[in-house]
Amino acid sequence: MSDIVHLTVDGKAIEAPPGTLLINAVKRAGIEIPAFCYYDGLKLQAACRMCLVEVEKTPKLQVACTLPVAEGMVVHTDTPTVHEARKGMVEFLLTNHPLDCPVCDKGGECELQDMTFRYGFGESRFLEQKQHIDEKQWSAVVYFDRPRCINCYRCIRVCDEGMGLTALGITNRGVLAEIIPNEHDHLNCDECGMCIDICPVGALTSGMYRYKTRPWEMKHVGTICTHCSNGCKTTLGVRNDEIIRGNNRDRSGLNGEFLCIKGRYAFDFTHHAERLQSPLVRRNGKLEAASWSEALAEVAKNWTAIKQRGGRFGVIGSTRTTNEENFFLQKFARQVLGTNNIDHHRSGDVPTLLDALSGRTDALATTADFYERKAVLIVGADLSQEQPFLAWQVRANVRHHNAHIYVATPGPVREDRVAAASVRYQEGGELASLENLREKLRAEPELVVAFGDAIQGDAVRQLVNFGDSLGVPVKYVALLDYSNSRGALDMGLLPHLGPGYHAVDTPGMSLAAMLADESLDALWVVGANPLGRHVLAASKPFVVVQDLFLTDTAEHAAVVFPAASAYEKSGTVTNLCGEVQRLEAAIKVAGTKPDLEIFGLLAREMGANLGIWQASKIFEEIRGSVRGYNIPLPILTTGGAAQTAALNGHVPAPPRAERIQAAHNTLFTSGSLGQFSRTLQVVLEAPGALYQGR
Amino acid sequence: MKRTTLEFRMPKVNEVLGSAAAIVKGMSVTFREMMQPTITDLYPDAPPEFEERYRGKHVLQRDENGLEKCVACFLCAAACPANCIYIEAAENTDAKRISGGERYAEVYNIDYSRCIFCGYCVEACPTDAITHGHGFELAGYSTSDLVMRKEDMLAPVPEGAHFPLLVPTAVAGGGGH
Ligand code: SF4
Ligand code: SF4
Ligand code: SF4
Ligand code: SF4
Ligand code: SF4
Ligand code: FES
Repeated sequence: MSDIVHLTVDGKAIEAPPGTLLINAVKRAGIEIPAFCYYDGLKLQAACRMCLVEVEKTPKLQVACTLPVAEGMVVHTDTPTVHEARKGMVEFLLTNHPLDCPVCDKGGECELQDMTFRYGFGESRFLEQKQHIDEKQWSAVVYFDRPRCINCYRCIRVCDEGMGLTALGITNRGVLAEIIPNEHDHLNCDECGMCIDICPVGALTSGMYRYKTRPWEMKHVGTICTHCSNGCKTTLGVRNDEIIRGNNRDRSGLNGEFLCIKGRYAFDFTHHAERLQSPLVRRNGKLEAASWSEALAEVAKNWTAIKQRGGRFGVIGSTRTTNEENFFLQKFARQVLGTNNIDHHRSGDVPTLLDALSGRTDALATTADFYERKAVLIVGADLSQEQPFLAWQVRANVRHHNAHIYVATPGPVREDRVAAASVRYQEGGELASLENLREKLRAEPELVVAFGDAIQGDAVRQLVNFGDSLGVPVKYVALLDYSNSRGALDMGLLPHLGPGYHAVDTPGMSLAAMLADESLDALWVVGANPLGRHVLAASKPFVVVQDLFLTDTAEHAAVVFPAASAYEKSGTVTNLCGEVQRLEAAIKVAGTKPDLEIFGLLAREMGANLGIWQASKIFEEIRGSVRGYNIPLPILTTGGAAQTAALNGHVPAPPRAERIQAAHNTLFTSGSLGQFSRTLQVVLEAPGALYQGR
Repeated sequence: MKRTTLEFRMPKVNEVLGSAAAIVKGMSVTFREMMQPTITDLYPDAPPEFEERYRGKHVLQRDENGLEKCVACFLCAAACPANCIYIEAAENTDAKRISGGERYAEVYNIDYSRCIFCGYCVEACPTDAITHGHGFELAGYSTSDLVMRKEDMLAPVPEGAHFPLLVPTAVAGGGGH
């Protein structure tokens, strides 16, 4: 067989590799063949018959979405017979279609509307009364309107193949065919909304967006999901300074169209009733609303006094604030407060990994590697729950490239179903369990290794040694918790490492040490809730908190500043694979300020000069001074993901080994933010659990 | 250069007759119209009369059961060249049913400081919910007075209709599983 096939479509000569489906070959020549059920990346269905074309020397019309190109094929897409066939198909689809476009959520972006407009008859010949069937609610997220369904099977396929669940099925045949949920009358699933998004018509609608507005009424803002560290791009639909929906239909960003429930629906914390909208200052033991100038002055006065008497500061940064904010915060702590007591909630041992891989290039995995590499090893993580996008990539890799997946976890995971081999271990037996996979891994041409917090410290080096001993090229990634967990590390929110993992002269106290230090005088917590898990040993420290809500930590504060969330600010974040992407402010919540502005105002109030607090200017500084961050700006400004360069050089280990404890969020939790998302609270599956094999 | 001087000249007879005929012709129109009924409106002393298709202040229609016809499809707002229609949509429930469709307009404003009475909204409406009424006394002391709310434009509930439909809560609870 030759490498190229020649065919003629509507008189145009076209070339395509053998095996290409006619529908795709023709598309590349700029000719459109209408389709409903054909969907790039999913299995073929040939259910809708919208793509019929004439192929010479075949007696009947052919289905272009399943027909591979052949040498010498002569195809006609623009003949009266084809037009007639398309009209007929549209007319059939509309026999019992309600055509209630004015109230249908899909109206304005409906593929059936478009097709009817372009290929359909102007009017209907069916005079019979249409059958009405009431809409059904399958879950807090998914609603189904049967008469609008055109039975294209896209929802079934995306849930089965894409999500690795089989939550949707079809029952009956012909006109009675109907999509059904897995629990008879309701769904038990990931509530990701992929099915809703992929539905070409308004048959599946979401509980969050239903009947709220119309697509053309919204402003669409592409930004990065704030929930987990995978860094999915989510395009937020905004109206009147309120986020109404999230999706990524334009497939921009590294995640394509994928989003889990958190990226798609859990933006609703932004308008939670308990959102802080004014600074709070403690007066007579009670937190009371205060003006910004009062609150800023209160903090500056106390900090200056504590600094003058040589008191001890502790600073805890956030895993969701931007790189610019993190960079500015550590600069503030080190230069203005004069302390290296700065840390954040660490969730993966990136520094040790970078050190173990020092001097190598091409040893750090990207999110794309999970889709492209021939084999993936997952150690100590319930990927589908904790890292939903990476799990999606892995499933797609198996589907499209027959990749081999290896799993070493303490309990059953969804990846077991597609895995070439799975092993279970007891805590402490992680590395030993890998020995059972050694022979199989050696036979792979290449490997990506993703590991959770079960592998830290020396175990990371042993894992890298194990990888080296396989004799195949291996890439690694340390799994992390939140949208900018990686950025917090890279920007030096660490007691012993500054930005770019450079050692500091005198290492400060770690998070645990600060909280356990009885003589701590001041604690500054930015977008974190350490007192939700730990107790504060010091009896009367001056606590300043910047957060969205009155968290357990904020309850202890002397001053609380209302911060803007990631959806309300601009800047950059770095995902777990070191891919930097830009946040775009979608809304503004009255009374709040971005953390960066709060830092800047505090610095000014203290009489310190840390330069201007503008994200773009600070990013320039980061590009110039932080190792690996000299990334091309055009990629960022056009909404792409720019890969940071690998480190080359030694990363010193902390003076005392600290236990890293990740949050291990499920699909339905998101640290202390999750409880303020109504969506994450109301779905039946919440809060979910790890290692249930689902 | 030739000088022109004004000098009196006796009119010719046919000129006199021509002028008289013109006056008679004009006055005949005047007298004929004097006999016709008057068409001048005595507004504001008497209510003005409108052509049926006069485009005045909008009326949001109800159906025979008193339900609002507007289903908040936003098509009028999309069609409006002055961008003066503002809508917020909400979902009808069994317990609280405002319109005939799944959705109704919780807020429906028209800004009459911007409306150009073009009628595009009326033409765009798929449910004939928005129509032009004959209201024209729209002057106000501030432009914010000119933003009319749904309540200012809604047609009255028809005689005998029960609106809002009150459903006993025990029945209304349903909806989904
Ligand atoms: S699915 Fe499309 S065609 Fe059908 S009612 Fe909705 S918008 Fe109209
Ligand atoms: S929401 Fe996601 S998991 Fe649930 S049925 Fe739809 S595609 Fe499947
Ligand atoms: S619900 Fe939507 S995606 Fe699923 S078969 Fe029907 S039309 Fe297709
Ligand atoms: S996988 Fe992570 S980044 Fe992507 S949408 Fe879900 S929570 Fe957000
Ligand atoms: S009449 Fe014209 S300008 Fe006025 S609301 Fe309707 S569409 Fe807009
Ligand atoms: S697209 Fe070919 S049959 Fe549906």
